[in-house]
Amino acid sequence: MQIKALFVRESGAGYLLTGLALVSLILVTLDTSTRLLESVRGAIGTLVSPLVVVAETPYLLGDTVGEVVASRESLRDTNAQLERRVLELSQISQQFLAMKKENERLRELLGSRARLPTEVLIAELIGVVPNPNTHQVIIDKGSDAGVLVGQAVIDAQGLFGQVVEVSQFTARVLLITDASHALPVQVNRNGVRSVAGGTGRRDELELENVPVTADIRPGDLIETSGLAGRFPVGYPVGYVASVEVADTSAYASISVRPTAHLDRSRHVLVLLDQPVPDSGAIDGSDDGFDTGVDESDAAGAQAQEDGA
Amino acid sequence: MNPTNGGWLILVTVLAALVLAVLHLPETWPQWLGWLRPDWVAMVIFFWVLSLPHRLGLVTAWLIGFLLDVLQADPLGLNGLLLAAITYIAWRFYERLRMYSIAQQCGVVFILVLGAACARLLVQDIIYSSGWSWVVLLPAFTSMLMWPFLFVLLDRLRAQARVE
Repeated sequence: MQIKALFVRESGAGYLLTGLALVSLILVTLDTSTRLLESVRGAIGTLVSPLVVVAETPYLLGDTVGEVVASRESLRDTNAQLERRVLELSQISQQFLAMKKENERLRELLGSRARLPTEVLIAELIGVVPNPNTHQVIIDKGSDAGVLVGQAVIDAQGLFGQVVEVSQFTARVLLITDASHALPVQVNRNGVRSVAGGTGRRDELELENVPVTADIRPGDLIETSGLAGRFPVGYPVGYVASVEVADTSAYASISVRPTAHLDRSRHVLVLLDQPVPDSGAIDGSDDGFDTGVDESDAAGAQAQEDGA
Repeated sequence: MNPTNGGWLILVTVLAALVLAVLHLPETWPQWLGWLRPDWVAMVIFFWVLSLPHRLGLVTAWLIGFLLDVLQADPLGLNGLLLAAITYIAWRFYERLRMYSIAQQCGVVFILVLGAACARLLVQDIIYSSGWSWVVLLPAFTSMLMWPFLFVLLDRLRAQARVE
C-alpha cells in the first residue's frame, strides 16, 4: 500500500516536471525571439524591485555616509569646483541656444525634421545585473516616469546604453559594451560611418567591418550617427584606442574606449522624447544594426547635413 | 505558537538567497570575480527539499525561478526549469541523499550547480553565441565549498524555528 502510493506520487511528479520543462522551453523561446513577454517581465520586475533595492543598500548607504562625514574643506572644494563648472557650462549653453535656434531654422528651410531630443529624465542606478556575461544596470525610473523600451540613456560623459525592459518603478538598461549590443556610429572628424559592437569588456567597443582603407586614426572621437533611429545623432560614444591592420584581412580591427563611465556613473539621463521607430521595435537588444541598413538612405542624408 | 509551521523561515531564506544572487561587487573590481558567486538559490531550495520534502513543491521552485530570471536578466523560464529539475532530483532521492556524508553531499551540489551553470551557458551560447569557457566550473566549486556552512546554518535555523 505504502509502496503503491509512493509510486503513484512519483510518476505524477515526473509528468509535472516534464510539463513544467515544456512550458519553460516555450517561454524561453518566446522570450528570446519575440517581445510578447515584455509586460510579464515588467510585472515580475515590479515584484522583485524591493529585492534589488535591498541588494543595493550597502552602496546607497556608503554614498549617504560619505556625504555626511565629508569634511568641511572637501565640501568647500567640491562646491568651488562645481561653481566653476556651472560658469563654464552656462557660457557654452548660451551659445548652444543660439545655435540650436539657427539649426532649427536651417532645418526648416531644408524641410528635414529636427531630431534633437529636448526632454531628459535624471535617473539613479539602483542595481547592477551580477551576471558577468551581461552588461545591464537597473535604474530607479520606470513606466510611471514615462520610460519606454528603446529609449537612449547617457551619462555626463557620453552614451551609456538603451532601455530594454521597463517595470513600474524601475527600468533595465543594456550597456553599449554588452556583447549583444551594436549601434551605428560615425567618426566626428570626417563622418566615416560604422557600427560599434560591444565586446563584453567594460572598457572596450569595436568597430565592425571597417575596410583597411578607411580614414580612422587613434584618438578620433566616435559619436552616434542616429541612423537606426534608436539613438539620437551626435552623442559621444568613445575615442579610438587602437587601429590594427592585419595583412591577411580586408578589415581593420579598431578598438574604441567608451567615454561614458560605464562602471562608475551613479546618475544617468534617459532621453525621453526621441522617436522610437516601429521597425526597430521588433527585438530589443541588437536591432541597431539591422534597422541601420534599412533606414540608411533616409537618415544618411540627414547625417551628412549634420556633418557639413 | 507556530501557526504557519515555520513557513516564514523558508520564505525568508529564499528571499535572502535571491538578494545574495543580485548583490554585486563594486564595479571597479575585476569582472571575472563575478563568476565565483555560489548558486545560492539552488542551494537553499536543495536544502529545504532535502530536509522537508513535502514543504517545497515543484511548482513553487519553478515560480521562484521566474524571479531569478528577471533579477539575472536570463530568458524567462530558464531558471524555473533548472530549479524545478533540482527540486525533482532532491525530492526523488532525498532518503538516500540524507544518508550521505557532508562530503558526498558537496559532490552532489557540485554536480547539480555545474549542470545548471552549463545549461545557462548553453542557452546564452545559442542566443548570443557567447562561447564556452572553463569559468562554468567556478560557481560549482564555490557552491560546493559553501554547502557545509550553509547546511549547518539552515539546519540550526530550521531546528530553532521548528519548521516541519
